[in-house]
Amino acid sequence: MKNQLKVLRAMRSWSQADLGEHLDVSRQAVNAIETGKYDPSLPLAFKISRLFALPIEEIFDDEFEGARND
Amino acid sequence: MTNLKERAMTDVDDMASNNGRRIIWMMFSGIGIVMISGAITGYLSQRGAEGDGPLNILDVSILGLFAAVILVLAFAIWRLFQQTKQSGERVPRRERLNNRIIWGCGIFGGIIGLALALTDNMGAANEPSLFASGPISPVLAVILASAIGVVLPAITFYWHKHVVDEQEDAAYRAGTLIAIYAFWFIAPVWWLLWRGGILPSPNGVALYFMTAFIALIVWFWKKYR
Repeated sequence: MKNQLKVLRAMRSWSQADLGEHLDVSRQAVNAIETGKYDPSLPLAFKISRLFALPIEEIFDDEFEGARND
Repeated sequence: MTNLKERAMTDVDDMASNNGRRIIWMMFSGIGIVMISGAITGYLSQRGAEGDGPLNILDVSILGLFAAVILVLAFAIWRLFQQTKQSGERVPRRERLNNRIIWGCGIFGGIIGLALALTDNMGAANEPSLFASGPISPVLAVILASAIGVVLPAITFYWHKHVVDEQEDAAYRAGTLIAIYAFWFIAPVWWLLWRGGILPSPNGVALYFMTAFIALIVWFWKKYR
């Protein structure tokens, strides 16, 4: 799944290790999420959302093209 | 989000990436040392079986080459370790704990391996290899069975509870799934081909190591790719 994690991390000048420390995951996990090789669980996605104070859908893009209710 | 994308990115992961590579090279170098040590032991055992004579120039050359490669690999590990330390990179909590467990297991395994090697050299020169299916002494069997049946599960349980994050957990699950499928299909195929007189009888140890190896390879690929 495409996401803005690398951008958000870079805005704070955090390394993958720094973000891993904040999320309590390894650097490999951060890297796998950033590159779209691994989709985080819902609890981890919420944790990321809270960390960056952004809604989940602004961080992760499931590329759904259908009409939105809002 | 577009404005976020447009902002200049300062990627600070080159160092982390380098350290990741260093750690992988350290692991490969360590495995290389173990394998070459095994080759030396095998070479000396073979000489022993053929009747120990004085070392000739060929023996000295071969053993010297093995020793030189071990020294080079040991030096590489030391250099890589120093470089990793000097990079000053902060490592996440789970990885710090992971590293401590790996070092602990390495030391524990090294002590057991050394004890086994010494026991082997002191007494049973004709004792079959641990990886063969021949008999071993009851004491050795109990020690090894306790290590694998009690100590290793305890460490593994702690490892999964405190070290493994969800991405690695997924890698483990993918690895074990593919490994168990491989076992399910390969074991009966081997058994049938044995019944047909095409292959030797199925070897449980070989199937065990094959299953473990497949799980390990897939885990490694999923975690580090």
